Amino acid sequence: MSSALPKSVSKRLSQIGIILVLIIGALFAGFPVLWMISSSFKSNTEIFAYPPSLITDSFSASAYRTVLTDPTKVRFFINSYVVSTLVMIFTLFVGIMGGYSFSRYEFPFKQALNMIVIGVQAIPPITLLIPYFSLIVLLRLYNTYPALILTYMVFTLSYAIIMMTGYFNTLPRALDEAVMIDGGSSFVALWRVLVPISLPGIVSVGVYTFMLAWNEFLFALTLTKTLNMRTVPVGIQMLMGQHSYEWNEMMAMSVLGSLPVLILFLIFQRFFIAGMTAGSVKG
Amino acid sequence: MTVTTRTSARARWYKTSKRLAPFAYLSPTLVLLTILSLIPIVMVFYYSLMDNVVMNPDPVFVGLKNYVEILTDDVFHTALFNTLYFTLMSVIFHLIIGLSFAMLLNTDAINPFTKALFRVIYILPWVFTASIIAILWRLMLNPNGVINYLLEWSGLISQKIEWLGSRQVALHAVTFINIWSGYPFYMVSLLAGLQGIPNDMYEAGTIDGANKQQLFRFITLPQLRPIIISLAMLDFIWTMQQFTLIWMTTGGGPIRATEVLSTLTYKMAFSSYEFSLASANAFVILALSLFVAYFYVRHQGATNE
Amino acid sequence: MNRKFVSLWLALIMAVAVLAGCAAPAAPSGDAGSTSSDTAADTSADTSGGEEVTLEFTQWWEPELPEGEFRALMDEFEAQNPGIKVELISGPYSATKQQVVAGAATGTMSDVIGLDGAWVSDFVKQGALASLSDLMSEAGFDDSELAAQIQLNGATYMIPVVNFVYPLFSNADLMAAAGIENAPSTRAEFADAAAALTNADSNVYGWVLPLSLEAPNGIQNDVMAWVWASGGSMMADGQPHLTDNEAVSSAMEYIKELYDAGVITPGAFSMSEQDKVEEFTNGRVGMMIDSLAHINLIRERNPDLNFTIAALPAVEGYTGARGLPYASWGIGVAESTPHKAEAWKLVQYLMSEEVNSKLSSIANAFPGNVNSTPDFVESDELFGAAFDIYQAGYPANEFVGLPVAEALMRSFDEQFQLYLDGGQSLEEFLTNAQEAWAENF
Repeated sequence: MSSALPKSVSKRLSQIGIILVLIIGALFAGFPVLWMISSSFKSNTEIFAYPPSLITDSFSASAYRTVLTDPTKVRFFINSYVVSTLVMIFTLFVGIMGGYSFSRYEFPFKQALNMIVIGVQAIPPITLLIPYFSLIVLLRLYNTYPALILTYMVFTLSYAIIMMTGYFNTLPRALDEAVMIDGGSSFVALWRVLVPISLPGIVSVGVYTFMLAWNEFLFALTLTKTLNMRTVPVGIQMLMGQHSYEWNEMMAMSVLGSLPVLILFLIFQRFFIAGMTAGSVKG
Repeated sequence: MTVTTRTSARARWYKTSKRLAPFAYLSPTLVLLTILSLIPIVMVFYYSLMDNVVMNPDPVFVGLKNYVEILTDDVFHTALFNTLYFTLMSVIFHLIIGLSFAMLLNTDAINPFTKALFRVIYILPWVFTASIIAILWRLMLNPNGVINYLLEWSGLISQKIEWLGSRQVALHAVTFINIWSGYPFYMVSLLAGLQGIPNDMYEAGTIDGANKQQLFRFITLPQLRPIIISLAMLDFIWTMQQFTLIWMTTGGGPIRATEVLSTLTYKMAFSSYEFSLASANAFVILALSLFVAYFYVRHQGATNE
Repeated sequence: MNRKFVSLWLALIMAVAVLAGCAAPAAPSGDAGSTSSDTAADTSADTSGGEEVTLEFTQWWEPELPEGEFRALMDEFEAQNPGIKVELISGPYSATKQQVVAGAATGTMSDVIGLDGAWVSDFVKQGALASLSDLMSEAGFDDSELAAQIQLNGATYMIPVVNFVYPLFSNADLMAAAGIENAPSTRAEFADAAAALTNADSNVYGWVLPLSLEAPNGIQNDVMAWVWASGGSMMADGQPHLTDNEAVSSAMEYIKELYDAGVITPGAFSMSEQDKVEEFTNGRVGMMIDSLAHINLIRERNPDLNFTIAALPAVEGYTGARGLPYASWGIGVAESTPHKAEAWKLVQYLMSEEVNSKLSSIANAFPGNVNSTPDFVESDELFGAAFDIYQAGYPANEFVGLPVAEALMRSFDEQFQLYLDGGQSLEEFLTNAQEAWAENF
């Protein structure tokens, strides 16, 4: 019994230690964002005031009001939601199958195909802009949602496949072999067994995919034309005028823009529970 | 009789379907990538062999002239060096910070609510569009910005530092910004990877008398290896192309202190309108990336044996 | 399993098709818009039959102006010209140039385009712009009203609609505190004033110099301005003339002296025009060369700031007219548009005396029509002063119409930074810059 007390004390100590480290890390991660939030409540002049302060006399939510009461800007948010959500769903669907194929099968040209999947994203998008734009115009997709959705699928698919291959590789093959022995197809093995176990991985791939689609600027600008098709990053850039920036509105708009991703993450982060996989493997 | 033929037919069907299955799974990917990715890339390659395109109604084939011009240019060498520094530092620190935070956030020592809170704070740098990150850091690193203020206030510096305006500091500053904005990608992916390590492996390790460091070294790291390798390769390829962040903070300056291959490519394309040179430059970046990808693919092949 | 795949594929295709379907009604203008080239043939046939023509007008002006004002001007145009509709395509300024290049390369360019003088030469080279000279003569337009036309190879491609000039702004309170009564008129006076204003301990500096390489227009507005203000030129016979040019070398040497004297706000090498004005607005800078477009912005963001406007300082003993840097909102017509006549009507409308007055009033700029007078010249003291400076001097911007103008500014900027930083001598700087420029001519 005597050894139990020091043990709980040391546990307590290590807990405090971890929390301290976590707080230092949180400062590194969160301070710039805190500054962004603070700026979004300042007047444009006070953003440049020296000495700077976190909360100023001019504290006001007017930047948020301006953004949220402008129907054009609200439309940017809606466009971004629609595009990002669909990109996330489609990419996950296609990427999971691709990753499964690379992880579980041996087939001719596998290495070559793998190189292609990686290679297509290794070229600076800026140089692809003009040929890609021509292609979208040719397919008559200019200024439509599908143009953006397909573009971001292409941008995120390589990533999704590579990561899903990685996650599937960490899972024992015995899992899907068990399904096959029971007479199930590989399709069943993938969607009924591997996918549920890989949920943490799928969540992380999904969040990233959503975020890329949410944040991409160059192609969003080029492939759309009218205000009713523009997305949030384009809207933010439009606040960077020729002569001056609307600093506080830009900050407010990006704070608002980050909320859906954070909420999405908050909902799904509960899948990151240690030992969950182990449990489902046994079950 | 009937039974045997049926089974052999089934076996044959099973065999064919097994051979076709990987391609069937890959078919949506292949269709998408071929049409929307390979075609434009082939066009860029074609551009890189011409004297100039877009600005020029009748391009002339010049072979590898553009590549020779780029590879012998001093500015290219500076940019290549800066790119490699920027990329390698980013990848290394992304991994270190991402893995540390993932381990911290995976611990059982704190309650789930605190954990969720920190998880959300820690992914914050990741959720903003690159141009806003650039603008935000420009504000903070301004000589009259909050970073200088805090450092002066705490007595760490006696004179304001021109973080982005000084030749000596700028490259480190943009690299730091990129490290800050990119580590959550590793963190989230590794956090997901950690969930895939079965608890009984740790239990077995503990029974064998392993301490925490040993558990990390002999169980955690090897288990995460496939994911770490995928992450590092992707990160390398993406960081090689990082453009917005550098462009909107320093524009490649001061002088050429933060000139990287992507800013050089952009300037060739949309400032000098040398689209063929820019395309050749893009292919040099592609070649560098494929060099890394090659080792990844080889490694993938090896683990699948 | 194969059947499952087929159905999955079908589902995917259907999903995309449904999306395409719902995107179309959501963006009726978009669908119609992208056809500006495909349906060229039938719409141009339609115009003669009195059918409606929709002009696409790509510009960055609408978001820069007070909300709804530019659209109101367009509505008026539509009322005056039945059968012509104008669709405004607005984008961020920084990306407009890139969008026009991409649009011209893919045949999706708008009919009418807002232009910056620094872009014209490149778009002409790309074959993207129509000759406005031809359109003017077809329409029988008298061009004597136009203050300026940007010409290349003898034809006009851009008309400046409104101009933003860049005089010297001074913070009156800081000047008074430093014991300076009048805005400096010569370089020596300016240097003295800058030194008197500078107080590094209280974080105040005499002058602010934005040399950002991302948007290197500081080179035209804040650096070359010194050359032009003394009647100098950086060109000779259409070729760059940076070496053996006293006007250029003396100005560069002068700025280097200011830089070494520590009277310039720190952070110059990465500072942009937007940062410059924020430093001034916050009262940390005594003087800056800046666009008139900022007057209202400064007043709005810091109502307590007292500031005045003056002509740019020139070399001692210079009595000639002083060049005043300017930037324009220019306009051009796409070569690819089937509606050239209608497009010209829109240009003509914007250049007409009354409309041009109105546009310059809301933009706080000077008109591109010689007969127009914006309201603020009468009503606002500062703008009145600026108008006097404008009329006493001449608008100077030698970068307008040069090939790859932005790249020229950037390569000059790089060499200039290296010179300021002590990395090369004045002579090396100008020789290197001259070499970099000569490649593009």
